[in-house]
Amino acid sequence: MPKITIDEKDYEVADGLMILQAIDDLGLLMSGVDIPHYCWHPKLPIDGSCRMCQIEIEGVPKLQIACNTPVKDGMVISTQSERVQTARQGVLELLLLNHPLDCPICDQAGECKLQDYSFDFGMPAGRTKEPRRVAKKAVDLGPTITFDQERCILCRRCVRFCREVPGTGELGVFNRGERSLMELFPGTQLDNDYSMNVADLCPVGALTTKDFRFKIRSWFLDDVETVCDRCSTGCNVYASRSNNKIYRFVPRLNDDVNDTWMCDHGRLSYKMGRENRLESALVGGKPASFIEGLRKASDLVRAASESGGTIVASASPFSSNEDLFTLRKLLETLGAPPATFSVPAGKADGILTQAEKAPNAEGARALGFQESDELAGAKLGIVFGHVLPATALTQVEKWILIDTHASDLSGKAAVVLPSRVVTEKDGSFTNHAKRVQRFRRVVEPSWEAWSEGALLQQIADFAGLDGWSEPWDAFAVSKRLCDEVPAFSGCGLTELGFCGCELSK
Amino acid sequence: MITEPLVKNYLTEHYGDDSFRTLKGYEAKNGFDGLRKAVSMEPEEVVEMVKSSGLRGRGGAGFNAGLKWSFMPKGNERTKVLVVNGDESEPGSFKDRLIMERGPFQVIEGVLIGAWATGASKSFIYIRGEYAYAISVMEKAVEQARAGGFLGKNILGKKGFDHDIVVHSGAGAYICGEETGLLESLGGKKGQPRIKPPFPAQHGAFGLPTTVNNIETFSHTSFILSRGLEWFQGFGTEKSPGTTMFGVSGHVERPGLFELEMGTPLKDVIAQAGGVRGGRALKAVIPGGISMPVLPASQIDVRMAEEFLSERGSHLGTGGVMVMDDTTCMVRVAVVASYFFRDESCGQCTQCREGTGWINKICDRIEHGRGMPQDLELLSDVPKLLEGQTICAFADAAAWPVQGLMRHFRSEFEQHIEQKKCPFPDSFEI
Repeated sequence: MPKITIDEKDYEVADGLMILQAIDDLGLLMSGVDIPHYCWHPKLPIDGSCRMCQIEIEGVPKLQIACNTPVKDGMVISTQSERVQTARQGVLELLLLNHPLDCPICDQAGECKLQDYSFDFGMPAGRTKEPRRVAKKAVDLGPTITFDQERCILCRRCVRFCREVPGTGELGVFNRGERSLMELFPGTQLDNDYSMNVADLCPVGALTTKDFRFKIRSWFLDDVETVCDRCSTGCNVYASRSNNKIYRFVPRLNDDVNDTWMCDHGRLSYKMGRENRLESALVGGKPASFIEGLRKASDLVRAASESGGTIVASASPFSSNEDLFTLRKLLETLGAPPATFSVPAGKADGILTQAEKAPNAEGARALGFQESDELAGAKLGIVFGHVLPATALTQVEKWILIDTHASDLSGKAAVVLPSRVVTEKDGSFTNHAKRVQRFRRVVEPSWEAWSEGALLQQIADFAGLDGWSEPWDAFAVSKRLCDEVPAFSGCGLTELGFCGCELSK
Repeated sequence: MITEPLVKNYLTEHYGDDSFRTLKGYEAKNGFDGLRKAVSMEPEEVVEMVKSSGLRGRGGAGFNAGLKWSFMPKGNERTKVLVVNGDESEPGSFKDRLIMERGPFQVIEGVLIGAWATGASKSFIYIRGEYAYAISVMEKAVEQARAGGFLGKNILGKKGFDHDIVVHSGAGAYICGEETGLLESLGGKKGQPRIKPPFPAQHGAFGLPTTVNNIETFSHTSFILSRGLEWFQGFGTEKSPGTTMFGVSGHVERPGLFELEMGTPLKDVIAQAGGVRGGRALKAVIPGGISMPVLPASQIDVRMAEEFLSERGSHLGTGGVMVMDDTTCMVRVAVVASYFFRDESCGQCTQCREGTGWINKICDRIEHGRGMPQDLELLSDVPKLLEGQTICAFADAAAWPVQGLMRHFRSEFEQHIEQKKCPFPDSFEI
């Protein structure tokens, strides 16, 4: 392992890497070692054109770019020397020659690299007297992205992304010299399933998503680490929230799952929590108070269990490991057979999205649930919503539905209890590669709704079942899950960290 | 049409002779002797010979040609490629054009020597698109060479010595004369220099190991082989042996090409071109194409070789000598030069993309009487931001002329700003 010295501190770095990558791998880039950069991105091919990451290496006459200079043992690097600072200032001054100073109306303000680096490394005042470049404003690149050509600093991250990741290559830099402009290739639209990633990649406010544009200033947002539930990949995301409202999902780095990308469908799924929600319990298809619903549900459970009638359950691959484990425990208490579940199927795209369009089918499998699209005949069914069609329930006399959204099942169930979507609760999912990943509560629903596990516990408690009086808590359940199911050992909510853990074999 | 240089030496000896452009005529003038000599030697010996001859690349950078050949990987696991840089686009430079038009077989012979030495099996002659005539001459020559058995399999009866040449037309971008910009363009991509590493010897044209040399550089190699080191080193200086073609343009009586020894005094070069037009006073000379810093009249007692010119803060470049008499407005020179670089920057690197335009705008403002005193500070600062900080040397080439002009003719910039107009009414038009 080569040893290098940066600003008089010694580091041991992996062999065969470029300096910037090596620093980033140590987790020190811009948080310990200040090497500003625009065109470089850890997941994209090196471009080496912004020249922002220039550093001074002892014994090398010219400044070198950290993004394309291989690490050598014994290298002595300065990131703060006067030459480096002058060069950085120069790059920033030149970038600002043609960049509009419209930060007050720019969506990127507050999370803009040009703004940040200008504050950190730039000149106190510009020296240009020339009029700035005039280019296209508010260009419609496709269904998801709006482009401000004047703000573009031509780092070409978006160009490389479209070429490398979705492989669609809609974007290019046209003309040359100071007439260079990033544009769509003639006759194309930026309309691929990953198009919105270019807005994350854009270091300035040139590429913005139509969805987030003008909604809120970035400094009002705080980010919560969570996981997308639109397929079994479980892309790691930040949910940006303000005032108990989610404004966007942005992908979060996880090399084992999604690098730093996510699909547009998943990104926009933060809206799922807002639309068409079940906001009250239903008894016999009619709105009822939450307590009424709970009483009715517990009466049904008690009656079925006392009369010795069979109880069956259909779980949902959208439920967390903890919720599913609670269901498993309840069925054991009731002496009922293990739950079944059904997974909505779609297409895998070979990039990130999987054919299983639910986040936790592996979790259900790991807990011993069987896949089935039907429910065996029984006196009472406990059904988690989202997946099963009403036709699958013809053999069940009565059923309790636990669901987040209104559907054609809601009217037919004996009782419906409202539950929480992924962004409203804590828990974990097990993705297609058997990686258990934690999601966090980002917002609270403004009506009474609980996670499936918490609802089951309350039903059981109301029904007077033994051992169910303790209020449900995802962390406590997670601990029991890890203790009782060997596959989950080491995969407790408090142990999963930022990037998750793999299920034990 | 120019058919021969105004002063000739070994390289251009037969350039007036039309038959020299045919395979027969070329062979009649001892053509391919150099190649025959080369194949009688081991490839490593040829590389060593060219290296020790001290032949410097004639494309502008002046790097030892044989040393460059030695960077090519050994062994035959990967197809190796030679690229001949005929994209001559430096303003003030027009020598390669004549070599291609009048001595195409010299180029081919040089390429074949390089191919033998480096093990390359394919080469591409990349010619500036505007040189339509040179392209057609080279194409015909390549056809004849192929028909005559100098291209193809087992050349000169040497088993395994296979080579073929493709003539490729550029599309008119200065930056495609830059080694890696040329390779990108050759591969069908936008002509933009590549970041290094990897270097062309590892990852060049189409990702194959590649050596790029200038047209003139290749043309000299046959003489080194056929006539020997001692003979070759009898020309020029110790560090820059051989002759080169100086293209003299501007305010001289007899502009044109002159094949002179390296190290010829600049005064003699100008004298060969008939001196300054109309007996006027000399003001300045750009010694090696527009991108090289200017020399004022007081400093032209210099010999034309890199080692002497760099002492004066300039470079030999491509040997394009641009002479300016006392009517010349040096701010206009700055405007013209900076306009060229503003127009030709590929636009990848921030400094070059934004800086070339800024420099041009400042120069233009000064020339048109709208300069401000702080512009002088900008003109000394901004080129520094470009110099040595980009992927390729283009930004240096854009910075140097303005730096040179500011160094030697700062007073003219000041005059423009004070008088709010150009004080040289008789200067060339822009």
